[in-house]
Amino acid sequence: MNCLEFRRQKLADPRRLSAQAQSHLQGCPGCTEFARGVDETERSLEQALAVPVPEGLADRVLLGRRGAGRVAWRTWAIAAAVVLAIALGFGHLKNPPSDQYARLAIEHVQLEPESFTTVRHADAEAFRSILEDFGGTLKQPLGRIRYIKLCPLDEGTGWHIVFETPGGLATLILVPGKHPGSTETATVGGWNALARPTRTGYYAVVTASLQMTSRVDSAVRERIEWKS
Amino acid sequence: MSAGDKTGEFEQVVRAYSADLYRYAYWLCRNRHQAEDLVQEAFARAWKGWADLREAALAKAWLIAILRNEHARSFSRKRPELASGEADESELPPVPSFEAGIETAQIVNRLPAAYREPLVLQVLGGFSCSEIAGIIGTSAGAVMTRLTRARQALREQYTEAGKRRVSK
Repeated sequence: MNCLEFRRQKLADPRRLSAQAQSHLQGCPGCTEFARGVDETERSLEQALAVPVPEGLADRVLLGRRGAGRVAWRTWAIAAAVVLAIALGFGHLKNPPSDQYARLAIEHVQLEPESFTTVRHADAEAFRSILEDFGGTLKQPLGRIRYIKLCPLDEGTGWHIVFETPGGLATLILVPGKHPGSTETATVGGWNALARPTRTGYYAVVTASLQMTSRVDSAVRERIEWKS
Repeated sequence: MSAGDKTGEFEQVVRAYSADLYRYAYWLCRNRHQAEDLVQEAFARAWKGWADLREAALAKAWLIAILRNEHARSFSRKRPELASGEADESELPPVPSFEAGIETAQIVNRLPAAYREPLVLQVLGGFSCSEIAGIIGTSAGAVMTRLTRARQALREQYTEAGKRRVSK
């Protein structure tokens, strides 16, 4: 086997090298270096492709299958779910978690990785107009807008905005109609979030670090005037 | 096989492969809501045709093939919406210095679908070139060519992204 054949084989299926390819690798420093580079790319590729899987997916699939053939069972399941939801609702009223809105924001960002890889409705004027509707006036730009999407969030909808900052990409989520009692912070899975109440609902800042979240939140407070 | 055995076997398969199927679906349509719908639909069809599955060892490839068909059907129904998403990506600005994983995802997003699909099947699904050929209905040689080109393109884009970072 020559170097060209080895490299073709390594690029086509890096983890399944033939005996000839393995033998070529032993005696060729150039191909060893090449193989190391391919393996490094492969590891990074594996991490990037493993997008987070929605929690409870398998359970929902199984519930759907069971429900298809058993109407009575499904009716009981819905009834049980309603009772559980009411019970949980009372539980939350009695003792609401102090960081639920910040956690929700992180969860949403984790489930929408395309918000960092796609440019979508990247329009500064659209952002200004969304803010106006939300009760804010943009006095100075926050950064270049890359992504704006109206998303299902917290039993309603919210605006998901991604913009560029000197420290990297930052996410701003605007949720109308929900009112955290005070400012919340949370750190989950390498993400940090801060949720702050406004007159019309709340906004959440999500970034990759506590320091960056704090910087972005300061910029939001300086550059956006919220109606009181 | 009894009804209980059949149900138990199906549940095991759902628990074993739903995550892999979701990730494959996500990289096909690049939308998490559509990806979950595709997984639900694929398993619903798999349950109806469970008797057609001759060997449990082949379940994963069989499910991937069902999901791929479902995606093709939904794609043909929603073409205009998906086409507008593709147009947005062509406007991507230079990669900012951010987490390496996100940068890689962005590079994968830019690959043509014909290269991205076998790459996802191999890296995430662990399938060989001939298994991928069986799933997507082409020859093993064609799959090898696509995978080689996909990885060459990735390496080139990595090098370019590295140069951009250095020049900043």
